[in-house]
Amino acid sequence: MKLIILSLFSIFATTFAQGPTLVLLDNQVIKETHSIFFKSLQDRGYTLTFKIADDASLVLSRYGEYLYKNLIIFAPTVEEFGGNLNVEIITQFVDEGGNVLVAGSSVTGDVLRELASECGFEVDDEGAFVIDHLNYDITDEGQHTKLVVSSENLIDAPVIVGPKKGIAPMLYQGTGILTDVENPLVLPLLTADSTAYSFNPDQPIKEYPHAVGRDTVLIAGLQARNNARVVFSGSLAFFSDEFFTAATQKAQGGESSMKSGNEDVAITISQWVFKEHGQLRVRSVKHHKEGEKEAPKDYTIMDDVVYTIEIDILEKGQWKPFTAKDIQLEFVRIDPFVRTTLKRNPSGQYEAKFKIPDVYGVYQFKVDYDRVGYTRLFSTTQVSVRPLQHTQYERFITSAYPYYTGAFSMMLGVFVFSFVFLHLKDDDKKSKSE
Amino acid sequence: MAQITTVLSKFYNEYKTRTPKRLKAIDAYLFYILLTGITQFIYCLLVGTFPFNSFLSGFISSVSCFVLAVCLRLQVNPENKTQFNGISPERGFADFIFAHIVLHLVVMNFIG
Repeated sequence: MKLIILSLFSIFATTFAQGPTLVLLDNQVIKETHSIFFKSLQDRGYTLTFKIADDASLVLSRYGEYLYKNLIIFAPTVEEFGGNLNVEIITQFVDEGGNVLVAGSSVTGDVLRELASECGFEVDDEGAFVIDHLNYDITDEGQHTKLVVSSENLIDAPVIVGPKKGIAPMLYQGTGILTDVENPLVLPLLTADSTAYSFNPDQPIKEYPHAVGRDTVLIAGLQARNNARVVFSGSLAFFSDEFFTAATQKAQGGESSMKSGNEDVAITISQWVFKEHGQLRVRSVKHHKEGEKEAPKDYTIMDDVVYTIEIDILEKGQWKPFTAKDIQLEFVRIDPFVRTTLKRNPSGQYEAKFKIPDVYGVYQFKVDYDRVGYTRLFSTTQVSVRPLQHTQYERFITSAYPYYTGAFSMMLGVFVFSFVFLHLKDDDKKSKSE
Repeated sequence: MAQITTVLSKFYNEYKTRTPKRLKAIDAYLFYILLTGITQFIYCLLVGTFPFNSFLSGFISSVSCFVLAVCLRLQVNPENKTQFNGISPERGFADFIFAHIVLHLVVMNFIG
């Protein structure tokens, strides 16, 4: 009986591990045409709640608590959300740590454009497709909008898109996205080839296209400062069963593959956006003088100090030690006085040993690890560093003996001089009286 | 040149005959302090400032002794009686000793 209960618990544990997810659709058909993608999410433990995007009963939070941890919007044409859902509420949802995956298309509605611009993306005008006259699929219908995108165009971050090598070319059909180059939080996850541009294929090109070449972003990501993640894809079809299972063949005798890379990339991106990948945390921070075990109340200048930090990464729902070679520690008093790379010791802790500088004050041990695709790891520990105590200075330095002699001879001088002076005074008085 | 020697010899004779004995004693003491201070300074120039606090206390001890001794000389000098009215040489000397006690306490504290 206990075993059954335990196993039931474990089933619940895995089921609810990834948190509830709200999926907004244009129509129920999308649920069927994108079934592979949704099934992969459900297999990984997400509870998906499917709703039509203009359903009047839409709510994201109730009594100040969010009902969902993640939001998928596969409703490109929606002009206005139903219920009490709107761009402001979704932005607030992101501000409070919710993750959002949005897919647009060439007919992206205003509400999604607004949402995109809140996240630092800009969706190209209505009716615009990304067009590439050199890298299109042979099944294209003549407008060269069904692109074959090489995995070389993925962002160089395995934690987001998986290893670039070995991923088959991907199919893409949809609008282009412009990203703000100045915004350091925005990541172009997938860009078009240099021969691509974004324009309405039915109209003659009279003005310069908004997005040209590699500046045309196909899938854009954002990791906000609170580590919430947003991914905006210009193509809903990218996630469809049709594209997942399709064979690709570049037109004009290009390379071909039996199965497109869409499924791999879409699933890895969904893992990233819902924080299955690249989530870091600090498990513990310790610091002490070399040779001691406990953190002292304060350090003295020139002390040898040992700093240890344990960093975990979330892997398949479990926190495991994180391995990297580029984690740095700074010892900061307004400016960093020491900056050193943390070394990983066999037990999985990162350790740095250094000598505190010859300057006293209030310092911080600071680890600021901010890498593309990983959540920002920031840890500060404040310690005070005091000057040497009066009894800690070096005594009887050989080269200082002349000064010692000088000072003592001054004392002796006063002593002798006092006797002489007093004696002479007596003498004077005698001579005066005589 | 001859004039300078005459000036110097006259000065020396005057000093020898007209300066009270205890002022001479103070002058000898001052000269001794001056030598000590200069020696320490030259040593510091040669060796460097490493035990800087030791150098400071050693050197400043000499300088202060010099200053105190000069003050004593001013107070004890009979020619300055009008200026230091009411301060007897004994009182001056007591002040001198008191200042020295404070000075040497500080110096010993700082010398390291």
